[in-house]
Amino acid sequence: MDLDTDVPMEDVSDDQQLLPLIGKESVANTTTNAGALVNDKKDLHPSSINQLDEWIEKLSRCEPLLETDVKRLCEMAIDVLQFEENVQPVQVPVTICGDVHGQFHDLMELFKIGGPCPDTNYLFMGDYVDRGYYSVETVSYLVCMKVRFPKRITILRGNHESRQITQVYGFYDECLRKYGSATVWKLFTDLFDYFPITALVDSKIFCLHGGLSPMIETIDQVRDLNRIQEVPHEGPMCDLLWSDPDDRGGWGISPRGAGFTFGQDISEQFNHTNDLSLIARAHQLVMEGYSWSHQESVVTIFSAPNYCYRCGNQAAIMEVDEQHNRQFLQYDPSIRPGEPSVTRKTPDYFL
Amino acid sequence: MDNFNDDLYPLALLMDELKHDDVSNRVEAMQKLDTIAIALGPERTLSELLPFLLDVAHDDEDEVFAVLAGKLGDFIPLIGGHEHCEPLIQILLPLASIEEPIVRDKAIQSLNKISMELTDEELNTIFLGLIQNLSQANWFSKKIAACGLYKSVILKVNAQTRKNLLAMYLKLVTDELAPMVRRAAANNLPAIIDLFTSGETIEPITSQDWEYISQMFQSLINDDQDSVKFLSIKVLISILEFFDHAKDTLHNQEFLLYSLKLIEDKSWRVRYTAADYFSDIAKHFSGEDLAKLIDPFIALMKDNEGEVRKSIAKQLPSFCGLLNKYPTTKSSILAKIIPVVNELSQDPQENVRASLASSITELSPILQKQNTINKLLPIFLNMLKDEFPDVRLNIISNLSVVNETIGIDMLSTSLLPAITELAQDTKWRVRLAIIEYIPKLAEQLGEKFFNDELLNLCMSWLWDSVYAIREAAVNNLKELAVIFGSKWANTEIIAKILSAHRDNNKSDSMNDNDVEDNDNDDNNTTTNNNTNNINYSNFITRITCLFAITKLVPAISHEIIAEKILPFINELSGDSVANIRFNVAKAYLLIATQLALDPKYRGLIEQDLWKHLEILQNDEDIDVRFYANESVDGIKAL
Repeated sequence: MDLDTDVPMEDVSDDQQLLPLIGKESVANTTTNAGALVNDKKDLHPSSINQLDEWIEKLSRCEPLLETDVKRLCEMAIDVLQFEENVQPVQVPVTICGDVHGQFHDLMELFKIGGPCPDTNYLFMGDYVDRGYYSVETVSYLVCMKVRFPKRITILRGNHESRQITQVYGFYDECLRKYGSATVWKLFTDLFDYFPITALVDSKIFCLHGGLSPMIETIDQVRDLNRIQEVPHEGPMCDLLWSDPDDRGGWGISPRGAGFTFGQDISEQFNHTNDLSLIARAHQLVMEGYSWSHQESVVTIFSAPNYCYRCGNQAAIMEVDEQHNRQFLQYDPSIRPGEPSVTRKTPDYFL
Repeated sequence: MDNFNDDLYPLALLMDELKHDDVSNRVEAMQKLDTIAIALGPERTLSELLPFLLDVAHDDEDEVFAVLAGKLGDFIPLIGGHEHCEPLIQILLPLASIEEPIVRDKAIQSLNKISMELTDEELNTIFLGLIQNLSQANWFSKKIAACGLYKSVILKVNAQTRKNLLAMYLKLVTDELAPMVRRAAANNLPAIIDLFTSGETIEPITSQDWEYISQMFQSLINDDQDSVKFLSIKVLISILEFFDHAKDTLHNQEFLLYSLKLIEDKSWRVRYTAADYFSDIAKHFSGEDLAKLIDPFIALMKDNEGEVRKSIAKQLPSFCGLLNKYPTTKSSILAKIIPVVNELSQDPQENVRASLASSITELSPILQKQNTINKLLPIFLNMLKDEFPDVRLNIISNLSVVNETIGIDMLSTSLLPAITELAQDTKWRVRLAIIEYIPKLAEQLGEKFFNDELLNLCMSWLWDSVYAIREAAVNNLKELAVIFGSKWANTEIIAKILSAHRDNNKSDSMNDNDVEDNDNDDNNTTTNNNTNNINYSNFITRITCLFAITKLVPAISHEIIAEKILPFINELSGDSVANIRFNVAKAYLLIATQLALDPKYRGLIEQDLWKHLEILQNDEDIDVRFYANESVDGIKAL
């Protein structure tokens, strides 16, 4: 049921995006281990905090930042994100969320349901941009929160946090429309390379955007990846952002053209090997906002209600408390006075 | 010489600015016009500034004109008094005849303002000529300008002139070419009639004058444009008021016929306006005549257009109030109107139902106790279950009037179950809406009744699964503390939260805390928690308690803060979850701010509170350190 099945995974015409990344490889590898410590000691400068609070205030009114501010924000964000790990450790309690897709007002609704950050800790599993009308505001807001409260919010990379996909599904055009040039798109897509690709909640819940990869058996193998690059067209990093669970056992070819489908046997083996209780992932539209697969070894969470303003689905987030109790909170689209309500009924041709 | 230059400077500057290419600069310059006139003094304003402005008034943009037209209304004192008004009027005249309505309206307003300062003689010479010229002009915007000026002179002229003026106004009302002119004339007519009603004329109003007014009304009521015709309703009301004031009932039958004609008009805009002013019309009739309006009223309640039904629903209490005055009409309320109210409460259009909901509770004092219980309560109950939230809210927020009629006991047995049900609606916005009305209900119900019936519900919202509801619940408790006082907050809220917290610390198990001894058997349908079983090992529960207690700080006595709240907060300062610790840090600032008002707690701040904050300043978590430092800075600044 995912709408991404039509994504053409052709080669990008120019491979310019891969060039600047080669140099950064070494940085990532040398700093991942020591990074958490270094970062923890470095308190933000008070003027940066004021600046960030201003930006957050502005963004929460759904007003995009100035291009120069986006540039500063992205520089600050790289400072934070480059030290995070491929498997970013996250503590409980935490609230785990799925795709947002530029539905800014629904993101605000999400915070009404789950509580504001930083009072509540959040883990977002990617796909902040494309499809919705406010990708710029959405991703700016989340990145601002990340820089302001690095310990309170974790933002993973989704398959849409990529140069190639955003050129097709809206983020590129939105940047062009709102800023008059592709500069902001370039800044953000360069930043996306630094986003962590998975997270591990209290060593028990493995969180990522897509799913498992036939080339990854242990979480340590994820730690060995070089993530700071454009999402590749194949290979383990691509699979983690693109794969889907499936009713059929074993590995299958994904109809999306990237990643794989994996069966219950694969999930159970992975959880057993890594001593996990659950794999939490996003990536697929589910009508109830969340959906169990593989006898509760995998959960899909989707946090964009009435996806694309017409799917009629509920959204959900998952609260995990200190005892690892899970509670799902479902919610509907935010109410926006003055805007014509978009039909909640899914047209037949869509199904 | 220097002095001379200084004097000239403001005018030169204004002229420069008024020649600026950018309209916004010119508008800004114009806004300083009065300052410049003051600087120039009356003489030079008159001799230098006004001639310049006369040029401007012929050649600029509408934005600049609008400001100029508005400013000139207050210029009489700046030019040295009313005897110099003529050049001022010369500037306003072209502005008043402009087609842009914003400029025109401002200019007319200013002319009317100026007219108040003039002597009767000046009015008769300068203003009358002006009105005459404008009224007989060829261009519609001049005629529209004229319509707005009659009210400034009509009371201050002799009978003959008044008759001439009315004759001219009649021509405007019947203007054949431009409906805009007829509309402007109709719009300004009620004000003129109202002046006849309340003002003092030099010579008394004659029947000839009324002949003109009557002709104007006849023309308006038969206008083929509904955008003109609907304005005649306000004219009719003004006429009715005049005759009421004069205690003249001779024409009542005639007026009743006109009223009926308008109420039953083919155009929905006319019916809509008639519905909007229904009671204003009806109040001028009594007995038999009033009875003839009942069926038209009901027809409007059943109108095909939703807007008309919405509008008439608002008139229900006032119209029924009128019917209630006469024994002959009183019986129709129950017999004829209430059955239709029942239909209206199930109207297919939600805004009609919402409109009815906002007015229907006011029917209860008219119907009195028994009929309210028998006839209205079932309708209220149905509307409380309406799917459109505004309907439910409008009922709830207007319940106090019902309370006064049928008494709190009756209200509680019949309505509170419905409110309780809504308070546990699966849609969180419905729950939120109910919470927001709890303080209102609390004030209406009183402390004892509230404690018995609603307090448990209020506490249970704290454990809702949706944050927005928990936040509203916290705010609600604070509102209640303000209403019922610090002592009530201590025994009913703080003690309950704190004892629950302590009990939880004593028992190791997570789920057997029967801390709330309540008889509330309504489980919140959307949460796993209920009031009988609060899970304090859960982070959300702890942080909500912290929020609730902290929020109460400004509303309760210092003693309770020091003795009850501070120890609770201190305990939470060692919580395992960083989010709780930094909210504790924030809470310390709030507590210190309150306690610092009382010198006897200085020691407590300096030792107890400070000690805990210092620990938090060295916390392992960056956010805890940040908020602890913020609070330390804040307390130092006290």
